[in-house]
Amino acid sequence: MSESTGANTAKPSSSVKLVLLGEAAVGKSSLVLRFVNNDFQENKEPTIGAAFLTQKCSLPTRTIKFEIWDTAGQERFASLAPMYYRNAQAALVVYDVTKPSSLTKAKHWVAELQRQASPGIVIALVGNKLDLTNDANEAAGEAQAEGEHEPSPAGGDEATEETQEEPDVSNGDARKVPTREASAYAEEEGLLFFETSAKTGHNVVDVFTAIANAIPESSLKSGRGAGAGTGQTSLSGGRPAEDSRVNLGERGAATAKEGCAC
Amino acid sequence: MMQWTSFVQKAQSFIDPANFTLPTLTSSDRNPSKASLFRQQFRLPDSQNPLQEITAELILPVPHTSGDGPRNLDHAGNRYAGRLHLSERFLCFSTQATSFHPSASLTASTHWAGQTNGTGPSGNGFTIPLCCIRRVERLNSLSHIFSLALTTWNAALGKQQPPGFIPQRFTIQLAGSRQACERFCDGLKKGLREGMKEIENLRIVVNDCYSEYLLSGAKGKAQDGDASDVRQPPDAGLGMIFRYPGDARKLRDRSKMRLWGEYFRENGRNATLIRQPTFHKLIRVGLPNRLRGEVWEVTSGSLYLRLRSPNLYTDTLAKFSGQESLAIDEIEKDLNRSLPEYAGFQSEEGIGRLRRVLTAYSWINAEIGYCQAMNIVVAALLIYMSEAQAFFLLSVLCDRLLPGYYSTTMYGTLLDQKVFESLVEKTMPVLWEHLTKSDVQLSVVSLPWFLSLYINSMPLVFAFRVLDVFFLEGPKVLFQVGLAILRINGEELLDIQDDGSFISVLKSYFSRLDESAHPRSENPKLRAITRFQELMVVAFKEFSQITHQTIIEQREKHKDAVLENIESFAKRTSIRNLGPDSKKLSMDDLGAIYDRYYEVLYDNQQRQKLQEEERRRQEKKRVERTSILGPPVDREVGRVGLGPSPTHMDYDAFREFLAVTAKWAVSDSPRKSSSSEQSSNSFRGWGKAAAWNTKNQPTDHEFMQRLYRKWATDPEEGISLQNVVNGLARLKGPRDIMNNIQYFFDLYDDEGNGTVDREGILRMSEALLFLSRRGFEGTITPTQSVDDLKANDGAHGEDKLSTDEKFLGSVSSFIRRCFEYADPSKPGAKAAEAQQDADEAADKLGSFSIGDDEEEDLLDLDDDTKSDHTAVTEQPAQLAAEEKRDSEHSRTASESANPALDPNNPLHITLPTFRMVILADELLEQFFDSYFPQSFHLSDHGSYAATASSLSSNLTTFSNINAPKPQSSAMSAPSVGGASGGIVPPGRGLRGVLDNIVSDGIRMAAEVKKRMDEAQRELERNALGRGEEEDEEDEEDYDGRTGPTSAPSIVGGISSWGAGAYGADPDRRSVRDADRDLLEGAEVVSMRGKDDASLLDDKDGHHDNTQAPATAAAHAPDNVVSKVEFES
Repeated sequence: MSESTGANTAKPSSSVKLVLLGEAAVGKSSLVLRFVNNDFQENKEPTIGAAFLTQKCSLPTRTIKFEIWDTAGQERFASLAPMYYRNAQAALVVYDVTKPSSLTKAKHWVAELQRQASPGIVIALVGNKLDLTNDANEAAGEAQAEGEHEPSPAGGDEATEETQEEPDVSNGDARKVPTREASAYAEEEGLLFFETSAKTGHNVVDVFTAIANAIPESSLKSGRGAGAGTGQTSLSGGRPAEDSRVNLGERGAATAKEGCAC
Repeated sequence: MMQWTSFVQKAQSFIDPANFTLPTLTSSDRNPSKASLFRQQFRLPDSQNPLQEITAELILPVPHTSGDGPRNLDHAGNRYAGRLHLSERFLCFSTQATSFHPSASLTASTHWAGQTNGTGPSGNGFTIPLCCIRRVERLNSLSHIFSLALTTWNAALGKQQPPGFIPQRFTIQLAGSRQACERFCDGLKKGLREGMKEIENLRIVVNDCYSEYLLSGAKGKAQDGDASDVRQPPDAGLGMIFRYPGDARKLRDRSKMRLWGEYFRENGRNATLIRQPTFHKLIRVGLPNRLRGEVWEVTSGSLYLRLRSPNLYTDTLAKFSGQESLAIDEIEKDLNRSLPEYAGFQSEEGIGRLRRVLTAYSWINAEIGYCQAMNIVVAALLIYMSEAQAFFLLSVLCDRLLPGYYSTTMYGTLLDQKVFESLVEKTMPVLWEHLTKSDVQLSVVSLPWFLSLYINSMPLVFAFRVLDVFFLEGPKVLFQVGLAILRINGEELLDIQDDGSFISVLKSYFSRLDESAHPRSENPKLRAITRFQELMVVAFKEFSQITHQTIIEQREKHKDAVLENIESFAKRTSIRNLGPDSKKLSMDDLGAIYDRYYEVLYDNQQRQKLQEEERRRQEKKRVERTSILGPPVDREVGRVGLGPSPTHMDYDAFREFLAVTAKWAVSDSPRKSSSSEQSSNSFRGWGKAAAWNTKNQPTDHEFMQRLYRKWATDPEEGISLQNVVNGLARLKGPRDIMNNIQYFFDLYDDEGNGTVDREGILRMSEALLFLSRRGFEGTITPTQSVDDLKANDGAHGEDKLSTDEKFLGSVSSFIRRCFEYADPSKPGAKAAEAQQDADEAADKLGSFSIGDDEEEDLLDLDDDTKSDHTAVTEQPAQLAAEEKRDSEHSRTASESANPALDPNNPLHITLPTFRMVILADELLEQFFDSYFPQSFHLSDHGSYAATASSLSSNLTTFSNINAPKPQSSAMSAPSVGGASGGIVPPGRGLRGVLDNIVSDGIRMAAEVKKRMDEAQRELERNALGRGEEEDEEDEEDYDGRTGPTSAPSIVGGISSWGAGAYGADPDRRSVRDADRDLLEGAEVVSMRGKDDASLLDDKDGHHDNTQAPATAAAHAPDNVVSKVEFES
């Protein structure tokens, strides 16, 4: 949406192939739409095969251009997925916090990616539709998520536990997947973890920023205009590691401090 | 001159390869059948078959619009040479495009309407349902040519015919021998008679066609305001309400409409339409809005489906009204996002139509159900067609035009992407290389083109133009257009570096399709050509070499690789999703289970299909499919990759699964042995069946039934892969003897209350013997000091033998101990006595099994119950029963009190008892520790298979070791007929003896049970009344049991000692006897030559060995006779 500033264009730019996976109707396309156009549409055309979108994300040291493959969620399209996650450097595995089965499906995707996708792929587990839960208001009110080092704030956990004990009595909480359960799984598997709302926009940009930061420098290839195309792999391989300040280990800190300029 | 042109046409028809796709493909089941090609060519429903075929010439009348004289057949118009085909309900004529005679009055041709004219599967000619033919006259002709004049119902179905009505009439000259012509006419006559039944359907269907309305003049009247009895225009889609996409004036809709009106008047419409080159040209320039749906229906052939059952759509909706399904949920999600840019789909009207069509189709073809992208395609169709029309057209799309696209694996979609990529590689190597180098995957871009027929990619107006041609010429159009898109954008595409730029180049191209292709050209004509027109030219001219045949060939070429990819993905996913229990098994094991599970399932499915076919063939009736829609009859099945796979196996399939997993599940009496199999192939129709007999036939045993019930979540539904994995995971997980013991115990704990009763104990022992009857594969090694059996190892000199032998002893002591430590279910049972008697019983079991003179013992066992002197061989159960009858017997006193066998004293063992009993015996302990779990072979199947290959020979020994040597008298034996013809391997003595011992043990257990049943019965009888008849009854009963007439199984089993590996089931035993007899015969026969031996394969045993050749000879003249009849 916003044009990069003059300063930003000077930064090295690299493109990152990102694939979105998850059960049907968990809001994959909405997440992307929110990220790319800062927009939310109730009725989106279903994704046929996969939709392709791009968006830039500016980090202090470089600009990441996301090439996003937003795949179709219907079960039978699963066999097409390998076509899309081939060579992907990042993946967003989305589930619906109001639908436990979608988390199960998400776990399957994570397993598939870990085994079949390119090694070193950065995977983020994202629980969408936070707006349908109780913590939606709190989340929107506070700016906590950004301030926390852990992607899943501790406060969120407590809130979840409470709602578990007193399910949707007063305010119609539709949450069915406790934050703790998902975050524990994410930690175990070494995934980034977020709960988002594509509708309110909560946490959406943060997901992509976190991914951008988590992509190891070495696996980046420069963007279209920047390099000569085919020689990129060797180029980046020979690049000094000075920029690798941001890596997987530090991703928490990086997430916290660096906003996405897009 | 006329003759000459038609001759040229004929010659061309032989040259043009596109015309000869019909019968070249035959036997291999991968190739489509002639019937399916025939249907494909004429777009006929699946029920149609090519019955008659003859070379013919179609002579059309001079168009009445071009001259004002009456129609005169002498003044013939266009002539087409080609082939005339007759199916059950259709008369079809086809020629190739080049046969156009230059008298066409219409020159609507545009510059691209050249080469590809008519190369679509339809060609020129007609496809006319027989019910449309009103009259057929044979014309007198000078030159002995068979000439038929056909009059159709074209325009004549209405109540009143318009003034000056001229019926559609044309002539066909048959070229062929008089006989051939007459045969064709006979067929036609028959078909016409049948066709008359469909005339009502025709009336309904035709009524929905806009052309009828257009030509009836009603339209004019309506415009004149004379609305009194004017019929409403038929539903030509949502466009009638919400406007059709595009600017009608710019699309020159009116002139197109006029041209079509003229064409219809001259060549017939909808069902009676005759295709001439103008037809193809008119389609190329784009169909007019209101006729679009109807022409799609005609060119795709969906009209013929609708004609067959015009009410299917509404009936389906009514039938399933109110029901729910997964597909419906999925449909609901997408309704609001199907072509939302079109006004009709922002309204409840449009969405309702879409919902109904998709839902009805999901019911009629549950295998496909609903696939995203169908919503877009159907939404597009609904703009131009009624719901019913769209419904049938969707069916044609899914089944024929886009095979496998929307299936649950979408293999068709993936396959066509591969095909497309390979075509790009072939036709545009430079671009292809660039894409590969830039790591751009073409298929991710092209997939939505194919999946939603460009509807989502191009502006609607243009996508519909592609569809116009697509429905006429078939799937190749999608490829041609795709290639043309890349060719036109080739320069720009060579500059792209990644997916993003690739996509944006194409996106901007699609958005400018309406612009001039040559904006800077001096030539105004050239300037007027739009990019879309250019696209069409490139697609159909430059890529005219891409034919239907090309696509078919390419699909064949890539099919396996694509399916394998899908299958490995499915396997991966499926195994990963098997849940926590599956983690106990190795990946290799899971893979092996998965493969085997589906192999068995598909084998089973395939076999059922063949059997079904065989049955139908025998019934000699051609069964029409119950529903006219749904998957085509000649659809391929049998691969995970092809679509929804069966998810549950029934008990029979489960047995087969076990038979390839565990040795003990293999039948002892292979229905066919290898030698007879080869020769059996010579039997007509047996070749296929024989293929399955190379595998080990599964046996059937109560233990397997228990396993089945234990594993299945719902035994009625069958066993899922998950069930199998969970079941095996319990057994094959980390080595855990306690778990295994408990598992076994649970199998027999029928009540689920932690106890196994007397019956259960006996069944357990039976199962132990059943499981061990093929040896232990070296998993059990007894230490030397083990038992109380008098097995003399030295004499046998073979360890394995002694193991088996000892195991038998273990089982007998198992029974003994079980009874010994059993808890009485009722208080006050006499435990001590129980123990004593059980001991005795088990001792006997052991001793007689192992005894050197077992044959005699056994004979005694069954033959003699009176002579209590031979007490050694008496069954405890028998005694218990006897005792009640006759207290004089010497041993009865003690045995009367035998609670183990006395139904009055129910007893049971608990798991701890069972565990203790097992652990008390070294062999049983080893059995549960290693053999039992290891007897299920998973990824170590290879080694198992090796051993299994020797199984069948093993088995025959089993039954033959002690069988009487074939004697001369055995010559008569083959008349019994049987299937195990074959092998009597020599020198299997030791193993054979052992097998006998084991089998005998099993039989023993069965016998014990049987006797107990009798005792029980007796008891009941006693309870009823100890009357005076008692003795008599007993006498009868007694006689019955021992007499030669009843209980033949036992007698048979004894006399043919060794024939049965186990004899729990009398029927089985007697069958086995027959088998054995046959074996004897077969041996004799095998010396007389293979051919004769093969006759033994006739399971029904009709063929007497000596008689068979004679019968065969007698058959031969029969065939000849029937053939003559057919020809006469």
